[in-house]
Amino acid sequence: MTRYGGLGRTRPKKLTSKASIPIVREEDIDVLDEDIQSHQQIETGVEKAEESEFHLQVAINLTAQGKVNDAHIPTPETILSNLRYDELYPPLFSQPATYIRSSATVEDCCGCLYNMTEEDDVFLKIFNQKRDASNQCSEDNFEATMNFFEETAQAKQPFAAVDSPPVLTFAEMEEAMDAAVEEAVKRFAKEIYPHWKSRRTAEGSNNSLEPSLKFETGQDTDDSDPYVCFRRREVRQIRKTRGRDAQSAEKLRRLRKELEDARHVVALVRQREVARKEMLIMERTLFLQRAEVKEMKRKLNIKDDDEDLINQKPKKKVEPTTGQRPNPPQLRLPPRAGLQGAEDLQLLEDVQAEKENEILRDIKTNIAKHIKWNEGYVDHTRAPLSPSPERTFDAAAFRPAFTAQLPTPPSSDSSGDMMDTSLDVTSPIFSRDKLASRGMVLDEEPNKMPSFRRRVGRGGRLMIDRRNFAARCKIEMDPIKTDRFKFDQEDSDEEPVYEIETFNVQIMQHRAITMAKVREQAAVAAAQAHAQAQAQAAQVQAQRRLQSDQAGNQGGPPAPSAVAAPPEA
Amino acid sequence: MGVRDSHGEATGTPDPVEKGFATLNTIRIGVKAMVQKDGELRKAEILSIRQRKDGPSFYVHYVDFNKRLDEWIPAARIDLAQEVEWPQPEKAEKKKAAATNKAPSKNAQKRPRADSREVSGTPDALGGKNLNIDKTPRASQAGGKENLDAQTPGGDVSLFPSEAASAVATPKAADSEDVEMTDVKDLKEDEVKTASGEVISREEEIERLRTSGSMTQNPTEIHRVRNLTRLQMGKYDIEPWYFSPYPDSFSDVDLVYIDEFCLSYFDNQRAFERHRAKCTLVHPPGNEIYRDDNISFFEVDGRRQRTWCRNLCLLSKLFLDHKTLYYDVDPFLFYCMCTRDETGCHLVGYFSKEKDSAEGYNLACILTLPQYQRRGFGRLLISFSYELSKREGKLGSPEKPLSDLGLLGYRQYWRETLVELLIEPNREAMSENELALLTSMTEKDVHETLVVFNMLRYHKGNWVIVLTDYAVGEHNKRLEKEKIKGARRIDPARLQWKPPVFTASSRTWNW
Repeated sequence: MTRYGGLGRTRPKKLTSKASIPIVREEDIDVLDEDIQSHQQIETGVEKAEESEFHLQVAINLTAQGKVNDAHIPTPETILSNLRYDELYPPLFSQPATYIRSSATVEDCCGCLYNMTEEDDVFLKIFNQKRDASNQCSEDNFEATMNFFEETAQAKQPFAAVDSPPVLTFAEMEEAMDAAVEEAVKRFAKEIYPHWKSRRTAEGSNNSLEPSLKFETGQDTDDSDPYVCFRRREVRQIRKTRGRDAQSAEKLRRLRKELEDARHVVALVRQREVARKEMLIMERTLFLQRAEVKEMKRKLNIKDDDEDLINQKPKKKVEPTTGQRPNPPQLRLPPRAGLQGAEDLQLLEDVQAEKENEILRDIKTNIAKHIKWNEGYVDHTRAPLSPSPERTFDAAAFRPAFTAQLPTPPSSDSSGDMMDTSLDVTSPIFSRDKLASRGMVLDEEPNKMPSFRRRVGRGGRLMIDRRNFAARCKIEMDPIKTDRFKFDQEDSDEEPVYEIETFNVQIMQHRAITMAKVREQAAVAAAQAHAQAQAQAAQVQAQRRLQSDQAGNQGGPPAPSAVAAPPEA
Repeated sequence: MGVRDSHGEATGTPDPVEKGFATLNTIRIGVKAMVQKDGELRKAEILSIRQRKDGPSFYVHYVDFNKRLDEWIPAARIDLAQEVEWPQPEKAEKKKAAATNKAPSKNAQKRPRADSREVSGTPDALGGKNLNIDKTPRASQAGGKENLDAQTPGGDVSLFPSEAASAVATPKAADSEDVEMTDVKDLKEDEVKTASGEVISREEEIERLRTSGSMTQNPTEIHRVRNLTRLQMGKYDIEPWYFSPYPDSFSDVDLVYIDEFCLSYFDNQRAFERHRAKCTLVHPPGNEIYRDDNISFFEVDGRRQRTWCRNLCLLSKLFLDHKTLYYDVDPFLFYCMCTRDETGCHLVGYFSKEKDSAEGYNLACILTLPQYQRRGFGRLLISFSYELSKREGKLGSPEKPLSDLGLLGYRQYWRETLVELLIEPNREAMSENELALLTSMTEKDVHETLVVFNMLRYHKGNWVIVLTDYAVGEHNKRLEKEKIKGARRIDPARLQWKPPVFTASSRTWNW
């Protein structure tokens, strides 16, 4: 056992929270000396002044000794009440199957907030004795009336608790009676008022009848008055900036718009429902009239196929006319009606987008102008005045060269399609910096699969572009220079002179591929030449024939058909 | 601040305590005397004195006992044969002034007290409500008095004509009638030590409360004399433990009625019955987020349910000494545990939780209502608070200071939770961090619990976690008990809850 209390003291290792600590049973370890255990003082978290309390100390000590269940802190007793519980709390609750969700507040659930006292009972009893049976004031009505007085007083004299103003007169109360006040309240108010007033003044000051909590009154005494509670936490003043103002204005505008939209929807729904009602009425009258017709028919003994008694075409017509007639205006009118509002309710985003578009449009027209000026010129400056539109490098135009086997040569018409889309050779912007950027791309992705494409250059030159060749020399070369060489090859067997390893597999493949290409092109060219030669031969023959014909026909003009006949390559 | 005083005496400068014999007439507030309690003599501090027909009665705080045991006692229980300790001199000066006035004015004091207390005996009582007529001014006087320098208590008196008669005869009679302990001293020396030992001023405390926090660490905040006598709630009559700022007129009635569901309060039985006839609330006004065979949990937002949450706070303040009601309930969520029967969901206990706790607390206040205590509900509440933390993916700890009961409850829960994990078969080693992550307890709480229960030991040059015989025994006992009674645990699968998200503006105060 390591002792650190005695001579051979070693400081215990520091324990980190991440350190894994072995778990052992008590019987598995030696009995330890108490004094070598850590005597860390552990905060109880209890108020310092209360930590020394007798019962708590007893409980803590018992816990330390392992007798938790004996630890008991005495508390005042609670006893069963003699309240008539079952009467006051009726067993009406039935638990829903799902979890309860509720947002009703106490005020929502309590009905009238004024509650009668015995004093009120006495008054009400006497009050009702004087009245006939039909004109009795119920407890509910009485409370509603008292509540009305209390609320009005609270609204008109919010600081009554502080400055004790005179009790509101009945005239003032009458003023406050608006449409929202119940009929019963109006009926009894005058007679109950004296009672309310006497109760209100009974306490010397003009205090609310219901005992209320003390809230802050703004006086200095508030702070140390233990009865003042639930003070408001002041909102920290947020710095006012224009941006924030604009934001809130924007929010308000949007809110208003949304509310207006909602209102429209409601109006439309109403309109629809009115129309539907109309339709129903119509159908009903139709039905009734048919019933009459039926009666008449029976009476007059008319026998026909009763077509007029069932909805056939009429039904289809009735529906569109009643259902759709109001609809189109519905769909179009409201936005028009709301247009005025919508116009001054332009959204900030829209305005901003509009502006941005304008700027973009401007730039575009400027570029177009520059292009027009430069027509017929090739801009060789490094940074042309009008930046050429960013052209994405169309990788799809390149065909991958499979290294595993020799690629079959691309069919010429499909490659022709591609070159049209990928490069607009006639465009004036097709210039050096475009190509330079391609050179850069080549350098950036040297390890990709090599690929090729064919295109037609100025003057109908055929060109093969290749890409992704792992030619090591490229690294040392100036990309612009490389680029210059790139298309400097002739349609010949001559390889451009690059310093390369002749027996590098990739280069050999490349050579094989390009050779194949060239051969193919040569074949094409040969075929063309052959065709042309044939055509020429045919022409020559035709001319000869013509000439001989002319000779025969005294030199008439050559027939146009004959000229058109020779096939063009 | 009896507790504090005693604490101060223990650690502060050894002021010579002035001792001497006292008579009933010279006993005054602040005096510490020996008092009969449960067959033994205990040192008690007099916090308040009131005159009744059968002589004065005294509100005493037993030194080194929790304030919930403070009580009104008749003079007979004070042992005057022993010397009493007089209050500290600087305080004594002021108190003496009050005390000297008191003796001659005794009759004068008696009268208003009799008027208001023994209503039935006074012929001029018009009705039930009259009870409060001269109560209100008197009570507010008591309240207002505290804010004044104790030397000018008369300033307030003249405001209240109803008291004028006695006030004129003995200018300071009002002061001594039902005198409550003034906090003058505490207002002067504004700094107090918190549980963690740091010194904070009153301003700092209030700022701290404003920005967050539900527990006050400042004894000046804690009113010393209980104001309610008895409480009627549901099927029970309950004795309150501490002061709570219910309307001040409530301190004069014998029984305050609390509606079990909406927690509204009434000082009048008829009004309470009328209210019950109208009230339709049968469960806490929020969403049920947990339900098992025995209990349900409701989540109530302090901002949306201001009245209900205020009512709840007022009620719980009666049983939580350090809870503060200084600021409003907006930044808290209240998780209310209920039992169900055919009348509704009855509130058993609750805990509050800050919507956004800067200090990583997962619980602000926790209370099992006294009528349901000692039945394991507190453990469920604690367990539920950690279940929420697990759902949030956070580690949490309760806000401090803890009460004595809170400390015991938490330590028990922590120990049981940790032992449960450690005792699992095939567990050979665990780090404190792992334990914390599995329980949602903070690493600090994990570590301290292990230390407190002597489970973290240094053995042969290494740290080991020792599953003590005691801990294992307790664990087995618990399993036995659960077998018989059925397990009372929170089942995470039944919790339908996503951590609510609040914007900054919805956390702050505004209408």
